Amino acid sequence: MIRPLEIAALASIITALVFGFLAPTDVVQGTVQKIMYVHVPSAWLAYLAFMVTLVGSVGYLATKNLAWDRRAGASAELGVLFTGLALVSGSMWGKTTWGVWWTWDARLVLTAAMFFVYLGYLALRRAIDDPVRRAARVAVFGILAVVQIPLVHFSVTWWRGLHQPPTVIRPDGPQMDSPLLFALLLSVVAFTTVYAALLRRRIELAELEDLLAAARLRADVVAGAAVTAPPRLGGTP
Amino acid sequence: MSVLGQILVLLKADLRAERRAAEVTMIIVPFGAVALLVIPMALGADTVLLSRLAPGLYWVVLLLFGLSVTQRQTATTAPAHGESLRLLGVDPAARFGAAAMANTALLLVFAVIMGSVAVFLYDPQLAHVAWLVLLLPLAAAGLGMIGALTASLAAGLGSRTSLAPLLAVPLSIPVLLAGAQTMEGMRQGTGILRWMLLLGLVDVLVAIVGVLSARPLEDAAA
Repeated sequence: MIRPLEIAALASIITALVFGFLAPTDVVQGTVQKIMYVHVPSAWLAYLAFMVTLVGSVGYLATKNLAWDRRAGASAELGVLFTGLALVSGSMWGKTTWGVWWTWDARLVLTAAMFFVYLGYLALRRAIDDPVRRAARVAVFGILAVVQIPLVHFSVTWWRGLHQPPTVIRPDGPQMDSPLLFALLLSVVAFTTVYAALLRRRIELAELEDLLAAARLRADVVAGAAVTAPPRLGGTP
Repeated sequence: MSVLGQILVLLKADLRAERRAAEVTMIIVPFGAVALLVIPMALGADTVLLSRLAPGLYWVVLLLFGLSVTQRQTATTAPAHGESLRLLGVDPAARFGAAAMANTALLLVFAVIMGSVAVFLYDPQLAHVAWLVLLLPLAAAGLGMIGALTASLAAGLGSRTSLAPLLAVPLSIPVLLAGAQTMEGMRQGTGILRWMLLLGLVDVLVAIVGVLSARPLEDAAA
């Protein structure tokens, strides 16, 4: 069943697409600049998703409620997805503007490192079946992993590289023309709505996965338990 | 016994076990030295280039081979030993502290030996080397604590040997960056304070997470 949040996500994506195409083309970069409407929201969503993972991790350790762990895990998956999207869209943008798919720029390298940190987080989740035994371990890692976020964010300030410094969130205000900024903000809203819709679905799926895992753990696993007596013919077993 | 007393007892046991097994000194150190020897065979014997690359190569070897130091079998990582310590009422934070301190001490030894090998093989330009007295212990502590923490996260899992490095290496990137940038700053005579501060900040953060998470991790492993 489609929910109002999912309808809102679809509507906001369509609106953002329309405004993205209608926004003026950049004088220097041309049409390729429109990758910004995917790249920037993806990077923002990666930060948001990993911060939600942090909150979920702290929440689990404080309350021992598995609902927090499910939120953390679901958000980390989406964070990895959006980080991957930011890397791929950034690479496509870089090829047309810098002439290379990849360069050893601090922002790029540290974003890739963040991607692998959270892949590690997901690998740790997959390595443990029991939700209760898993939750504490991944919560600790989820807290520790967040150190990557300020590193990635401030990398463009700490190192001079090809990646441009912040243009929207700056002390002296955004350095972008209003129509472009409006289209960008619409994209950010749209991506955030999609994230919220996906997060909700993923949390529900995680609840079902935990129930299944708990049922499996409760099941009799004694050797030979799978072998049962054949039913008697013509009578009740 | 106080927590500090427990840490000292466990630390002694860990270092004694390492002295008997000599895993770090007789296996990991030669392995790291071989890596430093092999790298020029892939890059080419351009001594000027190798001299320039030496600090970076040194930090990469320290990070990757240092993992072998932190993920070695210690006196307290075997499941039976862990159970015994739990039954004896040893504070989980003391176990983390002892593992982190043993890792730090052994990594420091490893770092000094690898540094000597790198200087011998690559002849890098060094300046303001007195700062190494502060830099190396800070970096060793960071790598040691991250190693202890990731080892306890992956303890008892079937994929432990492959999972622990995946968890530890990306998390160690701030240490690698701070270490390499500090060395570059020492060479060029530019500011190194912010990198030392970053290193110190990472150390403090990992120490806090390690101590606070020790009990939940022990409960999860039970």
